[in-house]
Amino acid sequence: MMLRRFEVYALRPDAPEDRVRALEAACRDCGRFIPEVLDGAVGTNLSAAPVQLVWEHAYASPEAYHRYMVHPYHAVVIDRYLLPDAPERIAIDGPLGAGLYGYACETPSYRMTGGVRRLVLLRLDGAAGEDAAAGMQGLLEAAPRDVPGMLVSVMAANTMGSAWFDGVTPVMGPPRWTHVWEQGFADLDALDAYRRGDSPLADVERAGWEGWMGGIVTRSAELFYLRTGS
Amino acid sequence: MVHLVDTVEVEPEHVAAYLEVLRSLGTAIMTDAGASLVSCATTSGEIGEHVFIQVVWAVGDHERWNEIRRDLVLDPRFHEYGATVAALRVGGTRRFFTAVAPPP
Repeated sequence: MMLRRFEVYALRPDAPEDRVRALEAACRDCGRFIPEVLDGAVGTNLSAAPVQLVWEHAYASPEAYHRYMVHPYHAVVIDRYLLPDAPERIAIDGPLGAGLYGYACETPSYRMTGGVRRLVLLRLDGAAGEDAAAGMQGLLEAAPRDVPGMLVSVMAANTMGSAWFDGVTPVMGPPRWTHVWEQGFADLDALDAYRRGDSPLADVERAGWEGWMGGIVTRSAELFYLRTGS
Repeated sequence: MVHLVDTVEVEPEHVAAYLEVLRSLGTAIMTDAGASLVSCATTSGEIGEHVFIQVVWAVGDHERWNEIRRDLVLDPRFHEYGATVAALRVGGTRRFFTAVAPPP
């Protein structure tokens, strides 16, 4: 079982530019020091959501994730900019909730080279059953058939939001965003063409998911960024 | 044994407040999570420069630190502590040290 993971950082408005660049580099280079970190890429969020830096990556298994968690590079270099008591911290607590999202998957179906990543955070109605979520997943993952420029479309439960310690066991309550919809586009023009286009899901998104599938989506937010480093 | 060495830069008038937060909040949070306070020391506040406060914590190893880190992140006091000390410092670093035997 693979683990797909996104760390999303809101940064202090007065964060020194060189320290922001250092955090970006620390994330981008992580796989050089911890080989278990796969498919790492970073980007600056271009959506209106008040977060700045996104780090996407993956692990081949929960055991591989554990090796990342206990590796000195994680504790010493990455956390240097993140932990609340760290003297060089530049992250702040973001309004999107804990800035860690992700899901378990059998294969790296998220994988792409370069391009634009879009991450749609979804809160599904608590009364919606697993069948409804599975039906929605089927529709979202079929989106590339209607959207030529959409290279990747994966929807999954946001398990990493609460199981961030070992990738499997929740250590806190259910996350604010119950699901994620990960998309990939060749470039910003392709993303823009989808958003302006006449595919059924573009219509649904433009309508704010209002009433779609019985109102299964109660809230959403989006991030998108040009990927560098993968 | 791994030592977390925080070297924090504060203005002289904030030294007492920083040490009080460390004493009243930081030490309890860190020791409850499993770290041990090794030492706390400051540079002089009488030389016209910012003061550096060095606080050293001991943890067994990085595996143990990962567990302590989890407990810290899940402790609401840790976030309060982080915000409080951030308002008092003007800079600083955290580095991890592991003891080595000096060459003969």
